[in-house]
Amino acid sequence: MKTSKNSKISSGLSRRLIMKGGLLSATAAFFGPWKHNHVWAQGAKPIKLGLTCDASGQYGNSGQDDLRGIRMAIDEFNAKGGVLGRKVEWVTADTETNPATGTRVAERFVSQDQCGFLIGALHSGVANAITQVANKYGVIYFNTNSSAPSEAGENCSRVKFVWDGNGTNFSKAAVQNAVQKIGKNWLLLTNDYVWGHTTSAATKAQVEKAGGKIIDNLLVPQNTRDFTSYLLKVQQAKPDVVAMAIGGDDMKVLRQQIVSLKMDEKVAWINNQQDWPDIWGQAGTLFGVFGTSWYHKLPLPGVAEFVKRWQTAYPQSPIPVPGNVSYNGYMSTRELLRAIERAGSTNNRAVIKALEGHKMPAADRMQHFDAYIDADTHQVQQTIYLARRNAKPADPTDLFDVISWTKPETALDDAAPAKCKMKAPADIPTFDA
Amino acid sequence: MTPARRTPIFTWAMIIVWLVFASVPLWIEKVGLYHYLGVEILIFALYALAYNLVLGHAGLPSFGHGAFFGVGAYAFGLAQFNIAANLWICLAAAIGAAAIAGALVALFISHRRGIYYALMTIAFGQIFWFIAVKVHSVTGGEDGLLKIERLPVDLGLAAFDLTTNVALYYFVLAVFIVVSFLLWRIVHSPFGRVVKAIKQNETRARFVGYDVWRFKAAILVISAALSGLAGGLFSMAQASAFPDVMSLHYSGYVVMMTLVGGGLVSFWGPVIGAVAFFLARDIIGSVTTGWMLWFGLSFVVLVLFKPEGIAGIYQSLMQRRAKASAPAVAPNAQGR
Amino acid sequence: MSFINLLPHLLNGITLGLLFSLIALGFMLILGLMEQINLAHGSLFALGAYFAYALCAARLPLPPDWLAVWAGVPLIWRFAAAVIIAPILVAPFGLILERLMRRTYGRDPLYGLLLTFGVAMVIEELIRVVWGTPDYMLPVPQEISGGFIMLDLIWSTYRFWAAGMAIVAMAVVWVIVERTRFGAMVKAGAHDSEIVQALGIDLTKLRVWVFVLGTMMAAFAGVIMAPLWGIRPHMGVDAVVPAFLIIVLGGVGSFWGAAIGGLLVGMVVGLSSAYASEWSMLSMYLLLLLVVTFRARGLFGKKSVLEV
Repeated sequence: MKTSKNSKISSGLSRRLIMKGGLLSATAAFFGPWKHNHVWAQGAKPIKLGLTCDASGQYGNSGQDDLRGIRMAIDEFNAKGGVLGRKVEWVTADTETNPATGTRVAERFVSQDQCGFLIGALHSGVANAITQVANKYGVIYFNTNSSAPSEAGENCSRVKFVWDGNGTNFSKAAVQNAVQKIGKNWLLLTNDYVWGHTTSAATKAQVEKAGGKIIDNLLVPQNTRDFTSYLLKVQQAKPDVVAMAIGGDDMKVLRQQIVSLKMDEKVAWINNQQDWPDIWGQAGTLFGVFGTSWYHKLPLPGVAEFVKRWQTAYPQSPIPVPGNVSYNGYMSTRELLRAIERAGSTNNRAVIKALEGHKMPAADRMQHFDAYIDADTHQVQQTIYLARRNAKPADPTDLFDVISWTKPETALDDAAPAKCKMKAPADIPTFDA
Repeated sequence: MTPARRTPIFTWAMIIVWLVFASVPLWIEKVGLYHYLGVEILIFALYALAYNLVLGHAGLPSFGHGAFFGVGAYAFGLAQFNIAANLWICLAAAIGAAAIAGALVALFISHRRGIYYALMTIAFGQIFWFIAVKVHSVTGGEDGLLKIERLPVDLGLAAFDLTTNVALYYFVLAVFIVVSFLLWRIVHSPFGRVVKAIKQNETRARFVGYDVWRFKAAILVISAALSGLAGGLFSMAQASAFPDVMSLHYSGYVVMMTLVGGGLVSFWGPVIGAVAFFLARDIIGSVTTGWMLWFGLSFVVLVLFKPEGIAGIYQSLMQRRAKASAPAVAPNAQGR
Repeated sequence: MSFINLLPHLLNGITLGLLFSLIALGFMLILGLMEQINLAHGSLFALGAYFAYALCAARLPLPPDWLAVWAGVPLIWRFAAAVIIAPILVAPFGLILERLMRRTYGRDPLYGLLLTFGVAMVIEELIRVVWGTPDYMLPVPQEISGGFIMLDLIWSTYRFWAAGMAIVAMAVVWVIVERTRFGAMVKAGAHDSEIVQALGIDLTKLRVWVFVLGTMMAAFAGVIMAPLWGIRPHMGVDAVVPAFLIIVLGGVGSFWGAAIGGLLVGMVVGLSSAYASEWSMLSMYLLLLLVVTFRARGLFGKKSVLEV
């Protein structure tokens, strides 16, 4: 009885906390300049982060999981006395999985809330939109979770750092093996936006390189809920493998419809990347082989302890354990704050310099291999995992059976550097956050 | 149609609106808002004014105006990438493309009115929106057309840079002044009076000998072209063009702005509405995510009790005051 | 593509069309018989889906003990209850809306349109406040879910059940409108309200009932569609747009217009998805343009006061 009562209060609290972020910005809106001046006069002005996380739309669930990871890193630094003796503050607003909203929120964070850094993204279109604003002001932006290969290719930027493994990485890890073991005829199911397109293009390249053939590519509009006509076409085409690049809530629904039709055993399904928030609560619909960049039961030192810390911070989270999305949010934010410490300043050029090429030991990141921030593309090159449904779960959260881990060098997107053209560091507007 | 009194070229209201907008960058940050918001408000005020030409002045309920705004935004970007990165050429492209889109729609719907007009404009709006989402190679699909630059204002002798939000604001203001002046003239021209006559009684206007179809088509094309201009400016503000401004929701928002402000009774009503809409979004929106609930509720209340909107409330207040001081004034003077 | 390959897409289109007709039906009732455009139709549809979710997933504001009892009822019965109870729960919203709309009667129909647009917005936001923004899936009882094999392909069982329920609902509406005294009075009232009132019939009361019937149809369609479309705050827009499109296509005020318009739209969407799935939704707009260019009042439309 007592726990249930507690649960109500804390879920209310966690919701209120988010609102408080909003409220703070609202009061700052009216009393901002004076209040801030007052604090600055004391000497240590806080470092302000703008967290661009979706709370609604296709990636609403994932965006909030991202936010949990980011906030945890911030809280840990503040508990140790901040960064460079300064408190780390944050504001967040719903970017609605909508690029236009992303633009507006980013503009507000930079010009009204005076954020020196922006963090958070799931949707590549939103990430692009935020990048444009960040570019204009020279504000450092961390794309935590959008894994379109174009993010570190055509759409790369000197001020943007990309923290997730991308579509090409996952394809490289999965495709060759599958062409040899399962079959040569592939069909692509592609979410109709940048991430879907670029990811499917990467899969296509890998399939053809391995001697396979793409027999069809079905474009699925975002927010599709009735997949009947696509599944009909899949059945008629009779492919050996179906490679899916469908994201967020769309993927949830697709998986459910495939399983309810018992089509999950008729063909081999490969899902480029399975985000944890999109599978939680629907374990029964997990099938096929899928990629991920982290799992909360990796047999590595520190993982269990990290999960425990996360659970203590979010006892009432709708998702009981951290997944890859929350992990990326946490890791990226921690590295940002560490980079500020290494640079000894919040000057954007200095922080960028501290990040570029930075190496992160495997143990520190709780992955199998060392990772590094690619200086040419600003993508974090990291271990890529493949997993399938766990037949013998140790507990209700143990959904994945991790079947392989690929070195970052092997999964490297080697076409990206040629596509990525960045401004010289000297050409971006400079400021101290 | 007898020129009982000449419409003044300038009015006090006009000059006050312009002056207030001109002073915005001086104080907007002091009240805790930000310049970019000012730019958005001004662009949508322009858009709502252009829209009201159709809704308020011609009485044609278009529910798909977002299409023209969006076409203008895309045209601006595409002209920049494919024709020339010149502000005037790109703005002309935005106006031209939206005018063509308007003419196309006008061709199909100008013999309609009332609810059928609304239904057909919704259908057209959806078609344009759908195409924008689907033709990736041209529009960038759902991710939008990115990397649109804020082009400098090239006046031959001098050029101004628009990269800062304040500079862009003043450029948009200049456009706003020109367009609002132009619209004022159109509304009070002989052409505008015929449109008004059609609104009041289409059949009678036809009997008097006017080619009603042409007037209705013309007013839609003008409104579409100016909406496209606003769209072009918006693509500069956002540095991108996105399909969602073409969606049914956004097309509805401009109707709401126009109505809430009082576009049915006042030339400047739509401007008031745009300001109210964005301030509500930003101020209520930063406290609660459900700002649309409150805005929607006040919209419902206005439609029910005061379709004349904020401007209408102001006018009846003024009337009541006038009546209080001089009880002889006719009571039911308010028009629709 | 040969005919045998197209057949599955045609079948898929027909089931989709029946569901579209069902969505359009409530809209048609209110528009055709009351001459009011109800843009909140989609929101009432969404409310139906949410109430059904609350019932099926046993997430109700009830004491825990009662809730446990309810959750113990087999899903098939909870689902059956949702199909009936959800529309009843939505009906009061229709009553309130009708009260509000009374203020707009006799005025330009534009005001009714604007009012319902605003109400749609408010209901959508209320849904966000109550249920939040995430997506829900309506659990479907095993008896009518899963798939079966036909033409060598696996088909979704529920889809055919849904199409069947759509046919039943349409038949009920047809009987009410065409074969009862109530229907005759309402139709006469829409045609000439003065004479009907002169005969001593309370038109105001009649209109309330029509509105409630239209509202319940919208909610019923929402329940039926929820397992196929998922449940989310803006699902109303996905419903109201095809609904009004079908009405314009079929002709305002015609029962058969709505039924056949829906089927036509479904088949066009189904067939076009065989060739170019990503363009299939556009095909319905093109169909509309084609039809209304040649038949200004749609397929079965009569002259309506809305045109004045």
